[in-house]
Amino acid sequence: MAKSDDCVHILQGLLVFGNVVIGMCGIALTAECIYFVSNPHGLYPLLKATENNDIYAAAWIGIFVGLALFALSILGIIGVIKASRTLLLVYIILMLITFAFEMASCITAATHRDSLTPSFFLKQMLERYQKSETANNSDNEVTKTWDELMLQNHCCGVQGPSDWQEYTSAFRLTHSDADYPWPRKCCVLDAQGLPVNLDGCKLGVPGYYNSNGCYDAISGPVNTHAWGVAWFGFAILCWTFCVLLGTMFYWSRIEY
Amino acid sequence: RPHSRPRHPGARTMLPLLLLLLPTAHAIVELTYTPVLTQTPPLEGLTTTSTFVLDQPRCVFGGYDNADIWLVVALDKAASTFNNTAEPGTLETSFQGFPDPVSAYMTLNATLANYPCPKPAGDITVLRVGSETSCAKDETRPTCNGPLPGPGPYRVKFLALQGSEPVAETKWSDPIMLRTAKSPNSISTTDSGHSAGMIAITTILSILFAILLAGLVAMLVFWGSESCGGSSTFSKPESVTVRRYNTHHVYDQPAARL
Repeated sequence: MAKSDDCVHILQGLLVFGNVVIGMCGIALTAECIYFVSNPHGLYPLLKATENNDIYAAAWIGIFVGLALFALSILGIIGVIKASRTLLLVYIILMLITFAFEMASCITAATHRDSLTPSFFLKQMLERYQKSETANNSDNEVTKTWDELMLQNHCCGVQGPSDWQEYTSAFRLTHSDADYPWPRKCCVLDAQGLPVNLDGCKLGVPGYYNSNGCYDAISGPVNTHAWGVAWFGFAILCWTFCVLLGTMFYWSRIEY
Repeated sequence: RPHSRPRHPGARTMLPLLLLLLPTAHAIVELTYTPVLTQTPPLEGLTTTSTFVLDQPRCVFGGYDNADIWLVVALDKAASTFNNTAEPGTLETSFQGFPDPVSAYMTLNATLANYPCPKPAGDITVLRVGSETSCAKDETRPTCNGPLPGPGPYRVKFLALQGSEPVAETKWSDPIMLRTAKSPNSISTTDSGHSAGMIAITTILSILFAILLAGLVAMLVFWGSESCGGSSTFSKPESVTVRRYNTHHVYDQPAARL
């Protein structure tokens, strides 16, 4: 009897501890996903423009899953302490539903991160940057985002200024190659936003233009976002798996 | 030396004799300089789709102080048939007629004063062929340095004219090819592979979810059955169980249950 009681208490203690960790991780997941959804690096327009913003959908799901995990962990703690079969059954079923949603979020984030290759951004930039007579707003957003990006990170194009030479683009339709081998934002600009040396920039003299591509500046935050949602969610789910198995075992041992 | 071409361009006494020989012999000096694309400093815009950048001909036309130095830009196949007596600023050498019917045009007029020798160290001395867009369609500016109409190949040389007589020329350059721009539709975005991380996440999570579902099914199937109950069941702390019953004194129940 005493040994069985000890085992019971140990199991209960472990399950309560497991649920506490789940609750805290749920809050952390919600906070992390809110941070990503708030678009801190200003890259959302680039992803929205091609309807490839599933990484943001994954983050939105993450917010609600985090809150659900927190609520369910409290339910789990109550159910374990009260040793109530119905409460624990409800807990297990709701947790499985939450598990399924979080699984979807992780896989979505990971899969769509894989599709954000340099070619993807290159094609979008060539087709939309400075596209004239544009009726929809998203192209203006793309142009503004790229301008900001090139200004802040001192970069040009996706892989370099030669992107503008190797491919025709919407930009090329309105700006002649001789006057604008690449956009003016690729030049080194002074405090007023004018090129320091326009001829040097057009020729491509080192020091008067930005020679490196912007892909690193884009892929850094996008990677952090995607892997943050995917791997943290994965870790939470592994822990939740263990806690759920323990809860199922505990449930099967309760007298009714 | 029995050579019809004078070796010294400064030997002006030879000039009248040369003028007599003009119909039968080349009167102009062929310098050994070959125009080249600029190698130092390395330029990103060395060749674009409609322009290219040449080194200025510094320390090449020494002694031709009064000559106008022109740049001749020709299609590769027309370089050998170019006539040095062609006059700049006419329809036959106008930029606006290039490449059809004009097969070689003359532009970038300069004098020796524009190309001082020696070149100051650290200065970037280049000629950008194709940089004037404002006069590209202006028929009144036949010597416009307009953007080239196609990817080429082109060959260039410098020609020094005194008055309207050609007096010196450089060699023809190697054929210069410009860049060709592809359409962005040729960029393939569908071929991205799956990273190892994504495959790991998917498989592991699927397995875990499957195990949990199996556990849930097992729980529901064996609900109520005592076969798993066995030896280590434990009782709930407060609710009443009908397991142990006492036919005797009711008041002793609470103590006996614990």
